[in-house]
Amino acid sequence: MATTGSRVPGTTGATGTAPRGIDPRGPRFAAGITAVVLAVAVLTGSAWVLAFQVLVFAVAAALGPARSPYGWLYRTLVRPRLGPPAELEDPAPPRFAQAVGFVVAGAGLVAELAGVDGGVEVGGTLAFIAAFLNAAFGLCLGCELYLLLARLRGPRTAH
Amino acid sequence: MESLLLRAALLAGAVVVCVLVAAVLRRRAGRVRAVTDGGVLSPADVDQPLGTAATLVQFSTRTCTPCRTVRRLLDEQAAASPGVAHVEIDAERRLDLARRFHVLRTPTVLVLDAGGRVTARFSGVPTPDQVRDAVLTGARGR
Repeated sequence: MATTGSRVPGTTGATGTAPRGIDPRGPRFAAGITAVVLAVAVLTGSAWVLAFQVLVFAVAAALGPARSPYGWLYRTLVRPRLGPPAELEDPAPPRFAQAVGFVVAGAGLVAELAGVDGGVEVGGTLAFIAAFLNAAFGLCLGCELYLLLARLRGPRTAH
Repeated sequence: MESLLLRAALLAGAVVVCVLVAAVLRRRAGRVRAVTDGGVLSPADVDQPLGTAATLVQFSTRTCTPCRTVRRLLDEQAAASPGVAHVEIDAERRLDLARRFHVLRTPTVLVLDAGGRVTARFSGVPTPDQVRDAVLTGARGR
């Protein structure tokens, strides 16, 4: 009795059988650029550089990774030089990761603008860790923490 | 923060943290841990019948890319093993189950024996061999 593909009501269904999909190498490429931009922000301590990346996070979270600035760069500059992707990926996880990046880097920027010394450095470094983990190791930190956050936030009772 | 050296050190520290985190997660990925006293999951909990030999209960979330890989692996394993069922649960919608079985990250898979007792569990993406071992642990019902 192999109940394969069993999608229980009240369980999965939203987790990625969507027909639309994106090239998974796109978000990975975007994470690489993000890590470089954030590293520059931290090294220079420049609120402007961090603000630029916060804006990119905002666009990517709002429009999805495919229509983000770095996603566009990937499509026009990198993708034509590569073969087609082996498989497509649900855009929801990388989109969530962009939202996490926005919150973390945005908090650092707001702190800096509010006069907290080191806001750019600390916020930039935390966001850099997430971007670097994704670019170098394919790990999605935001995704790892997602359930933990849902558990802290969610109702205590069943359903 | 004034010093460039200090900033460079901060960034270097971040890279070291990344390498350590990645190494730990890689090592732990798919490693099957036997569980004693892990509780019981009933067909009513998941709204569907359990496998007659073993059940692989996968906790997933929408934002989790490796969950798809694990789903494919477990579906294949269940299709190839008589009496083995694969059940997938959206952990975000079933926080009650996530809390009851102390699921902190996705994908996490509970391996149930025929009676629905949790006999083993693993997180992250396993190798096909690790999946086979996990099913055997469940079917043995230890």
